[in-house]
This record gives sequence, C-alpha cells and structure tokens, in this order.
Amino acid sequence: MIRWYWAGVLALALLSFLSIFVGVIDLSLRGLWRDPEALRLIGISRFPRTIAAVIAGATLAIAGCVMQMLVRNRFVEPMTAGTGQGAALGILIVTIFAPQASIFLKMVLASGTALVASLGFLEIVRRLPPTQPLLVPLVGLVYGGIIGAGVVFVAYQADLLQFISVWLNGEFSGVLRGRYELLWLAAAGAALTYFAADQFAIVGMGRAVTTSLGLNYKQVVLVGLVAISLISSLTVVTVGIIPFVGLVVPNIISRLFGDNLRQTLPLVAMMGAGLTLASDIAGRLIRFPFEVPVGTVLGVVGAVIFLRLLYRTPRYA
Amino acid sequence: MFRAFALSLTVMTMPAFAETVEIDTYIGAAEVTVQPDRIAVFDIAALDTLDALGIEVDGVVSPLSVDYVSDTAEGADPVGTLFEPDYEAIAAGGYDLLIAGGRSSRVVPELSEVASTIDMTIWEDTVGQGLARLNAYGEIFGKQDEAAALQVTFEDALDAAKAAVADEGSALIVMTNGPTVSAYGANGRFGWLHTALEIPEAVEAVEQATHGEAISFEFIRDANPDVLIVIDRAAAIGQEGDAAAMTLDNVLVHETAAWSNDKVIYLNSANVYIANGGMQSMTQIVSQFATKFAD
Amino acid sequence: MRRRLIWLAVALCLCCVAYMTIGVRGPLSFVIPFRGTKLAALILVGVSISTSTVLFQTVSQNRILTPSIMGFDALYVMILTGAVFFLGGMTVALVSAHLAFAVTACAMTLAALLLFSTLLQSVHNNLMRMILTGIVLGALFRALTDFMQRLIDPNEFSVIQGASFARFTQIETDLLLLASVVCGVAVVLAWRMRFALDVLTLGREAAVNLGLDLQRVQMQALILTAVLVAVSTALVGPVAFLGLLVVSLARLATPVERHGVIFISASLISAITLIGGQTVLERVFHLSTPLSVVIDLLGGALFLILLLKGQRR
Repeated sequence: MIRWYWAGVLALALLSFLSIFVGVIDLSLRGLWRDPEALRLIGISRFPRTIAAVIAGATLAIAGCVMQMLVRNRFVEPMTAGTGQGAALGILIVTIFAPQASIFLKMVLASGTALVASLGFLEIVRRLPPTQPLLVPLVGLVYGGIIGAGVVFVAYQADLLQFISVWLNGEFSGVLRGRYELLWLAAAGAALTYFAADQFAIVGMGRAVTTSLGLNYKQVVLVGLVAISLISSLTVVTVGIIPFVGLVVPNIISRLFGDNLRQTLPLVAMMGAGLTLASDIAGRLIRFPFEVPVGTVLGVVGAVIFLRLLYRTPRYA
Repeated sequence: MFRAFALSLTVMTMPAFAETVEIDTYIGAAEVTVQPDRIAVFDIAALDTLDALGIEVDGVVSPLSVDYVSDTAEGADPVGTLFEPDYEAIAAGGYDLLIAGGRSSRVVPELSEVASTIDMTIWEDTVGQGLARLNAYGEIFGKQDEAAALQVTFEDALDAAKAAVADEGSALIVMTNGPTVSAYGANGRFGWLHTALEIPEAVEAVEQATHGEAISFEFIRDANPDVLIVIDRAAAIGQEGDAAAMTLDNVLVHETAAWSNDKVIYLNSANVYIANGGMQSMTQIVSQFATKFAD
Repeated sequence: MRRRLIWLAVALCLCCVAYMTIGVRGPLSFVIPFRGTKLAALILVGVSISTSTVLFQTVSQNRILTPSIMGFDALYVMILTGAVFFLGGMTVALVSAHLAFAVTACAMTLAALLLFSTLLQSVHNNLMRMILTGIVLGALFRALTDFMQRLIDPNEFSVIQGASFARFTQIETDLLLLASVVCGVAVVLAWRMRFALDVLTLGREAAVNLGLDLQRVQMQALILTAVLVAVSTALVGPVAFLGLLVVSLARLATPVERHGVIFISASLISAITLIGGQTVLERVFHLSTPLSVVIDLLGGALFLILLLKGQRR
C-alpha cells in the first residue's frame, strides 16, 4: 500500500511541474529566475490552473466514492442528486438578473443555489421509508430531472441552452487567480470525509450492520451527503461538470484494492487528481494553441482506461 | 400527412389572374404571387427586413428575441415558435405566403403543405444574401424603391465604418460564454465583420475553421489584438456587454493593446446571430463600428 | 389490480378525447388527420419506451437503470451534433426525414447489438460488466458532444436544439407505419416473455434452478429493448426520463411483481403521461418548450408526492 502512495505522490508532483510549463505563452525553465514577468504569469494563470485541476479531480473522486458507498450502488455519480441542475439554475438566475456581477460573485451565487438544491434532496431522502435505501438514487434522478426541466424551460425561452451547456462543460481554460478560490472550500469538505471514512465503509454494509455496531445510520448518511453536495456544487460552478472521475476512479480503485476506505481514499484522491491534471495538460496540447475541454479528454481517456480494466483484470476477491 | 388537404386548398384558392414574380430563395428559384394579402413570418432576420420596408405582418412567431421589431409584431397573430410552428393556427389563419428561414428552415417542407412558403435563409454570405433577400421582398411587395433606398443607406453606413476602422490595425473576434471564451475567424459565422469591414485578423490560424475555437485568456494576451470584437452568448435577453466585460476584465486581457487603448467593442448578440443578415441589424452593427472608431 | 388497470384505461381514453377535441380551430379535414397522426405516434412511443424499460430493469435487476442511461440517448444526440459539426447546420436541416430515420435507427440498433455481444463473449455471463460498458460509452458520447457544442456558433446550435428533444409535431405517416409494425412485433414478443421474466425476478440462482435458460431470456429481452428504443428514438428523438418515470409510477400504482400487470400498467401510464403532457404543451404553453420539460415537471412531481405519502405496499 505504502508503495502505491509514493507512486501517486511522485506522479502528481511530475504532472504539476509539467502543467506549470504548458500553455500558450512561452515559459522556459532557464529564464524563469531572471524573469519577473514569467513568475507573474505563473501566479496569475498557470499555478491556479494546476491547483484547480488537482483539487477538482481529487474531491470529485472522493465524493463519488462516498456516494457509491452510501447508496450501495456502483452506478451513481455525485452529480445525480440535483446538484448539477441546481448549479445551472443559479447560473441562469445570475445571468438574467445580475449580468454585471463579477465572475467570482456569480460563482458564489450559483454555488448557493446548487447547495440549496442538494439540501432539498437531503430533505426528501430523510422522509423516505427507511426500509428502502435503494430508492435514494432513483429519487435523486427524478429530483434532478424536475429541477433540470425547470432549467430547460427558462433557458429554452431565453435562448440560453447552449450557454448553460458550455458553462457546465468541464474545462479549466477560464481559471485565473481570483476565479477558482471556491475550490479550496471543496478541498476542505473532502478532507472532512477522510476522518469519517470508517463510518462510511460500515454504512456501505447496510443499515442492519450499522445499527448493530452502534452507529447512527441516518446521521452518517446525512454527513456524507452534505459533504458530497458541497464538493459537487462548488466544482460544477467553478470548472463545470467533469465526467467520469467520480464514477470511474472509485470503481477502478475498488477493483484493484478493495473497499477499505481509510486505506483507499488517499489513492482515490490522488488518482482522481492525476487523471484530471493529465487530461487538462493533454487538452492544452492536442490542438495547440486552442483548447480542448478537460471533460472531452477525460471522456475519451476515461472510457479507454475503464474498458481495458473491465475486460482485462479479474474482480478483486 | 397534409397532402390531401394541401391539394384541396390549392384547388380552392387558385386565383384566375395571379401575377407572379420569380425570386431567388435559399433552395433555388421560386415563383411567388405578388402583393400577398396575409403573410406569416418564421424568421427574425426576415421580420427585421420586412419591418424596415414597412410591410404589414399578419402572423409572427414568439419569442422575438430582438426588441426593435416588436411594434410590427404587436398586432400579429401568434403562429408558434421558431422551432415549432403551430400548424393548426397557420391552417386556420388562411395565409397567402409563409416566410421561413434560418432556424425554421427545417420545417419548410411541412409549412409548404399548409400554404405557399419561401425559404429566405441567410447563411453563408451574410451581407450578400441579406441584400438579395431585401430586394426579393421589394419585388414581392412592390417596394423596389424602398428596398433600393435601404440598400444605399446600408452601403453608406458600411463605407463610413470601413473608413473608421481602416487605420485601427488587426482585430480578434471572441465570444464569451460565462467564464470561458471562444475565438472566431474570417471563415466563421461572424467572419463577415472581417471581410465586409476589411479588418485584418490578429491570429491567422483561426481563419481556417468555420466554427469557433475554445481559447484561454493567455491566448488573447499572446495574440495581442489592436481591436477586440466581443459577442456575448448570454446577451440575447438584451443586456449587451455587461457579462462579457466581466469575463474579460482580468489581468491577462488588460495587457493587450485593445484593452489599454479602449478598443474593445461589444456587439449586440441578438443582432449578430438571431437577426443575422436582417437590414436593420446589419446597419446597426456597422454604425456601431463607425461611432466607436470615429476619432 | 384489475380494477386499477381499468381505471387507468378509462383515464387514457379521456386523455385521447381531450387531446383530439380541445381548442380545435381551422378546417376539420386538416385537424383530424393532423392530430390523429400525432396521437398514434404518442401511443406508439409511450408503449415502446415503457416496455423496453420494464424489460431492461428486469434483466439487470436494477430499478434505476433505463436504456437511456446506457447511452442510447447520448448516441442519438452525438450523431446529430456530429452531422451539424461536420456538414454544417443548413445541410442537416435539409436532409430528408426518411434518410435521417434510417441512419439513426440502424446506427443505434447496431451499437446495441455490439454492446450486447460483449455478453456472449464472456464466460461468466457478466451482465454488470455490460451495463458498466454502456454507461461508460454514454459518458464518452456526451463528452464528444459537449466538445462540438462548445465550438459551434449559436445558429448551428439552434439546429441541434430543435432535434435533441423528443417532438411529435412533424411525423411522416409512412415512417410511423413502419415503426408501428416493428415496435408492434417487439411488444408482442415481450408480452409472450412475461412468465419467463416473472421467474427471473426471483433472482438469477432461483431462475436457473427452476430450469430457465438464463442466457437466452436475457439476450432476447435485450434485443427487444434495443429495437424498441432505437426505432422510437429515431422516430421522435430522445425521451430522456420518460421510461424511468413511468415505470416507477407503474410500480407505485400497481405494486405487484407480475409482468402481465406491470407491462400493461406501465404502457397505460406512459401513454397517459405523453398524451397529457402533449395536450398541456399545445394548449397551455403553445409549444414554447420541449415536451420532456412538461413530462419531467408533472410526472416527477407526482412520483415524489406519491412516494412521500408512503402509498406503498
């Protein structure tokens, strides 16, 4: 296990170093120390972009992992509980009513609605009959569908469907200093889940087991869902919906290393971060000097990796 | 679906001495009866030009998305939306001519089965096709003189704009979409701004693509255009430039020549793509350039 | 149960009458065939989508999976966006409905068969693996679609926007006939499988012990699902949540595990939802929004209300 940790840290460090030096404006390693311009550029654009990719990837992977544990269903993504749709609603509202607000302020407001939408989902989940934990993802889908329908209704009238879909399409090309800092909050949320990792793992075994071990089932589920909502709403609004990370990374890690969350969460985080950062670097290079959104790169790369794993490796026993 | 009905309709409403005129439409030449009594319009650019010619419209789609045609559309009956014509309303309305195009181009076959329809799409060559459509409307409605006058007005405005931007250097067309930006070249949908106004491009590479390209703010700083032409994807609700200015208001864009010399021009996006090729919309856009760069 | 089904059937008849009669203007010789065609398409799509969803959920033994989650809708939208991106919006807008139907129906059926063939290759008959593959491919299609939508300009996008929601206003009569024949056969075959499917709900082990040829039943059900989804989507466009919604509602309305009942109640509810939704859309919203919006809002709200009221078994 320790070996894997080191491998992860090393890979991330390498990728981050690479990410600092890849971009439209030329930066050379040699001139770096004599050139205040270059350091400024790193501060304004390259470092924020790198750190945003790392945080977004890591937190989404963790959120996906926890979500799959809580609802005991391998096919759910953290975005399926109305969060993405709530973010879209917020973006619509600020676009129509506060067009002159700064981008960062728009992000804060939209994160607010995304969070409210997620909390609304929690309210509904709390009232569900406790005998059917499997209803949670189904209710999440329907709930998200209702909010999504509201978003389409408004966007369709105002000719904003493409606007919304592009804003929510995961990419880091718009990340600059002062436009991504909300992600640090998401990072804090993800860190919290690590301390509750054991509880989530127990909840993943089902209600009966949880109660017999003296845990408050409902409370643990709620804590987990709040963390997931926080992470997904902040990432969606700041960098858009990044597909695959929340779904694929937990599945891969679980197939390779099993489900001991306290052990595997750091791996999940590092793999999510590495995958996202590598995809973003690739997205900057594929059609240089133009961008390919990270969501697209991840879609292709993630699919290839996942399908290979699916058709090669035996199940973790 | 409508064939039997359409057939009976044509049999009933064939006037004995209808005078027709041949005009160019997007899908080839068409014979159109002159001076149609009741018309319905399914394209905003067409509505824009008809409005400029002072032609009465009896049926119109909603929402309009552009404000300057609202008084013309005021008394007209609703006939559905740009994407979904209300066929029952059209059938009941007894229209002599349906004018479709652009977004409603897809439903021209269905519309033709209800009433006589022309496809007046303006797509590849905005200025050329826009003027061709203007003169076609002049032929149909017997307003050739008004059409010629409008063409002269537009060409004067265009010349004034050309003269104003002649010494401004190179330009980059960007479209903002929330926190992200795309660039469009001379072959793209907004390329007529480069070709008609004769502004050179700041970045040669964009011009090969007919669609836009996703770019970063570093790209804008690196391209360093003298003029930045900004279209806001979100401004179809009539709030030009506010949101776009907020997106571009950052350290990297501040370092470009365009920003530091205040040569950033925000276009009304409804004019640029919803009413693309309409006479009023084109005239407004080139006048905007003329006033911005007049000094 | 029987009484509930009868009530649903009565509600469906009322919906049909309401749809055909409310707000009639203009010549009847135009309105009756015009609305009749749409009504037939609504019923056809309703039955096809609900039947395919029931089949799929039974085979996968998972109540939140639907064929659209498996990437069928995403594939359709990707084909459409790709065509606009590479050929240009106007070219696509002028393509004949027949050609578009043929291309999308074939592409989707082919994709489905390729996907299901992965089941046959594996030793363990690994169904979950196939579903995961479908979900992953769906995400892949969506990622490529998003990229193309990021680059095309608003006018090109408007061509896609019109076609990426299910719509019933422009349906070619001959295509409707063709689709009715294909889907009709598939629905009849699904109906004849109902007892085998009942056995399957007992669990895989139990089903095998009772002498069910698991592999065969699964394959048949999946192929029927593919045909139903491909043909109905090619006819009217993607219906997104409809399948999930109506089957969930059917399980609340007629809470039994017998497929003979579920098939009928899901089909009835599906047709009621579509026809009711289309009526509201045409008479209240005047077609200013996609049908899926009306269905998701009304159906989704109804589902949550029923669930929270605890009207379960």
